[in-house]
Amino acid sequence: MADQADQSRRNFLYVAAGAMGGVAAGATVIPFIGSMLPAADTLAASKTEFDVSTVEKGQLVVIQWQGKPVFVVNRTEEYLKQVDGHDDMLKDKDSKAIEAVGAEWLTAENNKYRAIKPEYLIVVASCTHLGCIPLFKPTAGRKDWGESVPEDWPGGWHCPCHGSLYDISARVINGSPAPHNLHLMPYKYLTDTKVVIG
Amino acid sequence: MLEKMMKTRLFGWIDERTGAEAILKSQLTEYPVPKNLNYMWNFGSLALLVLVLQILTGIFLAMYYKPSAAFTTGNYTVAFDSVERIMRDVNFGWLIRYMHAVGASMFFVVVYLHIGRGMYYGSFKAPRELLWIIGVVILLIMQGAAFFGYLLPWGQMSFWGATVITNLFGALPVIGEYLQQILRGGFAVGDPTLNRFFSLHYLFPLLLVAIVGGHVHALHVVHSNNPEGIDIHKDEEKIPFHPYYTIKDAFGVSVFLLFYCYIIFFNPQMGGYFIEVDNYVPANNLQTPPHIAPVWYLTPWYTILRSFESKLIGVLAMGGSLAILFLLPFLCKSAVRSARYRPMYKILVIMFFIDVIILGYCGHSAPTPTLKLIGQISTAYYFGFFLILPILPKFEKTKPVPEGI
Repeated sequence: MADQADQSRRNFLYVAAGAMGGVAAGATVIPFIGSMLPAADTLAASKTEFDVSTVEKGQLVVIQWQGKPVFVVNRTEEYLKQVDGHDDMLKDKDSKAIEAVGAEWLTAENNKYRAIKPEYLIVVASCTHLGCIPLFKPTAGRKDWGESVPEDWPGGWHCPCHGSLYDISARVINGSPAPHNLHLMPYKYLTDTKVVIG
Repeated sequence: MLEKMMKTRLFGWIDERTGAEAILKSQLTEYPVPKNLNYMWNFGSLALLVLVLQILTGIFLAMYYKPSAAFTTGNYTVAFDSVERIMRDVNFGWLIRYMHAVGASMFFVVVYLHIGRGMYYGSFKAPRELLWIIGVVILLIMQGAAFFGYLLPWGQMSFWGATVITNLFGALPVIGEYLQQILRGGFAVGDPTLNRFFSLHYLFPLLLVAIVGGHVHALHVVHSNNPEGIDIHKDEEKIPFHPYYTIKDAFGVSVFLLFYCYIIFFNPQMGGYFIEVDNYVPANNLQTPPHIAPVWYLTPWYTILRSFESKLIGVLAMGGSLAILFLLPFLCKSAVRSARYRPMYKILVIMFFIDVIILGYCGHSAPTPTLKLIGQISTAYYFGFFLILPILPKFEKTKPVPEGI
């Protein structure tokens, strides 16, 4: 029986049917993988409002935005002075390395503060190494922090997981395992003190 | 294509370590199947396909489903809301849930046809008794899995269906009350019930996979029956499973998917048969819906339950109607397998199929005196069919079976 069959015709049918089946199976994968992406209500919860006037001078609070921790710091005059003078220690002083460390509102004037209003720093609180929340060690030098920070510590954050260091504008310091500055996000002031993040 | 693959070096490497070539040959390319199987023999592979689809869609639904009866706002619950969230907010959630809900009904459609095939052509008879018995175990686990799953959306039908069925177990003497509390985890169906049903709903399909493996293994020891119901000895009466029946099964799959997809995309609730309308009302433990019935695939047994005045006898009759399936291979004494050569059995078994459909119709409808009587007569025939089988060979004059196929 096999010798009567037209083999090339038969092979064509095999390949054609197999290819159609493959396309169908591939298309079936789309809804299943798609279902694992964030759902509509998760995406809808992507904005957070916050009143920065509730943060005292020199205080840091951690709020949530899209389920991620976000630092809001009310920087004192002294802290704002600490953003200068250590540019040679920074991996990416202008926040240009990747898109996530910059923001649309970032300009040549405010990029050392990484904030729309210099006193209020708002950054994603996840260390860019492996996602821990760094500890706030704002004062310069080792006086308050001991051996956990370098001798020429400019003040900022120290990540307890793998020792990454960030300055007071959350820019990563050379020698840290973290590759990038803490991420910024789009935000704007609705009123003088009310911020909408996202 | 399979032969080409089996000649590659990679396959050779695997074969040396697993004996894969011998398995593939004995189970596929040289596994002998009667050459005369008709399309009724497609439903086994379809059942396997639906089982895989149910497990796959179930795994993805479990990523979003939350088994909690805790209240949210306005008498809704966490479980009910999570199902609605799957329908509205989760990407393709509606598709995956409809695949799962429709799949449950299609599983029973396919399996009931598979069982009917086995009864009509005498596939349960020696030497396939154990194959049949394993199949009945699969049916019972399927019904359990479907029942557990039906509670999960925590709608009115979920809640009251579970209340009714767990009450059945309460009717049993001595152990009934304890059995009922073990099922419910409380004095009424509630949050603990929902949690354990979810756990069991995830467990039962895994049991199914293992037992289906046993079913297929048992089949491959005794080999397929055929429409003539005769033993096959000659080589020219057999063809290898691959490629002949893989192609035929694949064709069956494409026809099945046509129906399955039509229902999913155009009629997922199937007029209230596949997903009951009342189940879109959140569970309320203080109010029973005006008309309550199980999903269609459980209604025949529900009618048997309702046909008796005594609660205990009703429960025992319902259990007995399923248990008697185990005995079928031993009740049927005829030397001839296929209904093609058994004129009286042929009429009786076709009437049995119609009888089960009537039982199903009665169980789905609101109870009236007429329907109750019809249900009782149908129940009597259901048991009568099995009880007449041992003495049937005394009356039945079978036709001569062919020598070969």
